[in-house]
Amino acid sequence: MEKPLYKDIGFHLCVIAGLVVMFGAPRYFDIFEVYTYISYVVLAIYALSLAYIWGFGGILSFGQSAFFGLGGYTFAVASINMGTTGFPFLLAFAIPALFGAAVGYFMFYGRLSDVYMGVVTLVVALILFKLINHTAGPEYSIGSARLGGFNGIPSIPTLALPGVYGGVELLDPGQMFTVYMGILLIVYVGLRLLLASDFGRVSVSVRENEMRSSLLGYDVRRHKVIVFALGAGIAGMAGAMWATYQTFIDPNAFSLERSAQALIWVMAGGVGTLIGPILGAVGLQWLSITLGEMQLINNLVLLGVILIFLVLILPKGIVPSIRMWSLDLFTVMRRQREGLDPRTGEAPPPASSSQPAE
Amino acid sequence: MADYHVIETQGLTMRFGGVTAVDHVDFALKDGELRCLLGPNGAGKSTFFKCLTGQLTPTEGTVTFKGHRIEGHQTHEIVNLGIGIKTQVPNLYDGLTAYENVRLAARRKHIKNKAGEQAERMLERCGVHDLAKREVGLLSHGQRQLIELAMVLAAEPELVLLDEPAAGMTGEERDRLARLVKEIASHASVIVVEHDMQFIRQIAKQVTVFHRGQVFAEASVDEIMRDPKVQEIYLGKAADVAA
Amino acid sequence: MDFAVIVFVEMLRAVAWLVLLAGGLSIIFGMMRVINIAHGEFLMLGGYTVVISSQQGVPLWIGILILAPIVVGLFGILVERLIIQWLYGRMIDSLLATWGLSLLMIGGITMIFGNTTEGVSAPLGAIGVGETYSIAVYNFVIIGCAALFLVGIYAVLKYTRWGLIARSVMQNPGMAQALGVNATFVYMATFGLGSALTGLAGGLLAPLTGVVPSMGVNFIGQAFITVVTGGAAVVAGTLSSAAALGTISQAVTFGAGPVYGDAALLVAALILLRILPQGITGRIFTRSI
Repeated sequence: MEKPLYKDIGFHLCVIAGLVVMFGAPRYFDIFEVYTYISYVVLAIYALSLAYIWGFGGILSFGQSAFFGLGGYTFAVASINMGTTGFPFLLAFAIPALFGAAVGYFMFYGRLSDVYMGVVTLVVALILFKLINHTAGPEYSIGSARLGGFNGIPSIPTLALPGVYGGVELLDPGQMFTVYMGILLIVYVGLRLLLASDFGRVSVSVRENEMRSSLLGYDVRRHKVIVFALGAGIAGMAGAMWATYQTFIDPNAFSLERSAQALIWVMAGGVGTLIGPILGAVGLQWLSITLGEMQLINNLVLLGVILIFLVLILPKGIVPSIRMWSLDLFTVMRRQREGLDPRTGEAPPPASSSQPAE
Repeated sequence: MADYHVIETQGLTMRFGGVTAVDHVDFALKDGELRCLLGPNGAGKSTFFKCLTGQLTPTEGTVTFKGHRIEGHQTHEIVNLGIGIKTQVPNLYDGLTAYENVRLAARRKHIKNKAGEQAERMLERCGVHDLAKREVGLLSHGQRQLIELAMVLAAEPELVLLDEPAAGMTGEERDRLARLVKEIASHASVIVVEHDMQFIRQIAKQVTVFHRGQVFAEASVDEIMRDPKVQEIYLGKAADVAA
Repeated sequence: MDFAVIVFVEMLRAVAWLVLLAGGLSIIFGMMRVINIAHGEFLMLGGYTVVISSQQGVPLWIGILILAPIVVGLFGILVERLIIQWLYGRMIDSLLATWGLSLLMIGGITMIFGNTTEGVSAPLGAIGVGETYSIAVYNFVIIGCAALFLVGIYAVLKYTRWGLIARSVMQNPGMAQALGVNATFVYMATFGLGSALTGLAGGLLAPLTGVVPSMGVNFIGQAFITVVTGGAAVVAGTLSSAAALGTISQAVTFGAGPVYGDAALLVAALILLRILPQGITGRIFTRSI
């Protein structure tokens, strides 16, 4: 666990591969393909937001789309009102993060169990979805931006970040792809650095044993609120990128389908890793677009079947199998290095821990 | 110095529904003292302990540590004031080695390089240095207890609270633990909750006996042992005494 | 005075509606600690059963009161055998799997019936209250069904042999099995019963809102909040949280419109759960069923 990040070959390979794609793809593929691939990049960032809080904070959010949608709408409203896109982009991180902190406060300080937490996050997304769907009338305007209800908000400005391509709008899909890919790399590297820091280690220790962590003097609940809020902020940023990429956003950004997508990608890619969910998002999104073009099967049917398949087919159950993978940080790799059986280790099973309970 | 109370409770009461598990307990521990809390199962000593550690918020009464009121505070706040806690059920990161566990604890007090040395020292001190590279999830209950003790000590607490530290230990481990607890008591104040009379005889001078949620007796270990009323409480609980 | 009657009946209807909406979910959660995310789609299936059967000439009430519960109940048993039974004790996994089922059902029904709203005309009329107000008679059907459901479940759990078995499994599945209870069968029956009740709720809904594949989303929020807030006790939990939340949401709905009623429901539930993390029956009424 003390292995420094700069010695991790896999990490370097991922970054190099990312850089190659970042600058190579716009040259190699035609413009329409590149335009499609931008959506993969956005959704990969969205997948990372859940991969982080679930895999490394042990917090399972069933309503990640709440933050995705909130980020998208924040960006849309702010950029239409302000005429710029740089500051609204920051807002699209900050407002979902604050909202996430508020929801997290109720959940973690209330010590809700896993199942309750899943249901509460799901309902939060659901209610935002319904609320925003009912804002069709002209009275629902924020400044000069009409929320538009189920019709959504059109004419969202394209992203123009100061200092990137001279701050002009990214109208060329190639440029847009490169910038978006750059953001994905920043998020990925940032999360890896965070996980290697003390804060990240505490996250993992909290996931592994909350009581022990608080006995070491860590404020477990506050820590979880911060992790959850950070994940919400990243999801919000992905939502903003989605809005500015499509120049349009509608309430489907909040839909349960969006939340389920994130879960499915993370599960498919492996909880407890960051690169897995990125690949999961890209792979499954490609699959659903391809099958969608062939009009063979309803996209929801596909998602549903994949989700049921993932849960039922992994023999030891998702969470334990995943734990095997996520413990690789600590356990499996070390055991393999020492030539022990990676599943059981070598030592005898612990003696009976029965003790008189008062 | 001798009369300075490092931790003190007044009228501490904990009710669960209709059951009063701890009933108006006034308790005080002198600085540097080693005290055992004794009593049969259900006497309320573990509930009392949990009120001290922030795992339970008492219904009534106060807990004062070095002049700070700590009742109802969260566990991590209490720990950060300088209290080391070992809970009844060992709480360890099962996927990590003993060394890694203790090192995590040491990080709270020491910067990076020193933390490793501190961890080594604490494992040595608790006599489990040979287990350093073993994964704690695979160790015996007694071994896990000692490793958890090393974690508690790594933060160099002023007051150490131990809930049934000898449970699940072999005779040899228990002797080592007894020496260790006495050694800890030379640097810090210690409260030990235990119902193993053998072990208490090994370590304690002063003993507080709990019965039905109240302090039943408070005296030296020898007096307590001779007290017929204490014997009576334990009759029918012979199995616990012999454990 | 007339207005007060209207408000009272509306409140009662809101509470009754939450009871029906959440009742099936609550039975399944209370007995098996499984939250069926596809609950909304079970409602939808009940609604479709009513609409399709009445298009085929089956009388509406037979569709609502008999066909919808039977169809959805049988479907529930099928789901339990195919998916849920592998996931007992793995609560998060059962949530995820039923979520997959939810997506699958929305997609599947869309492929079969298309993404359009189909309806049946609302039965029964309205009765006048004083000179200016009227109440739909259908409201009383909903209130009656909810009352019947609560009384029925209570009586079954409390006074029958089956109820005793069910409660023993609820309290301690391992012990019940050691005493020779066939927990597998109890779980299957419970899931079927919960599904059947949900089918009834969906059937009752069909004349009011019409049916569309994605309709479940409009109702699951209320259902989940009611169950989670109520806690694990089926009757007391559902009734107490439906009463508390139904009143709050109806009051807000009167003041600000139905969308905010839902949001108020969530906020109220979050605050309640902050105080009582195990739900109302986790702390109060702990001995109830």
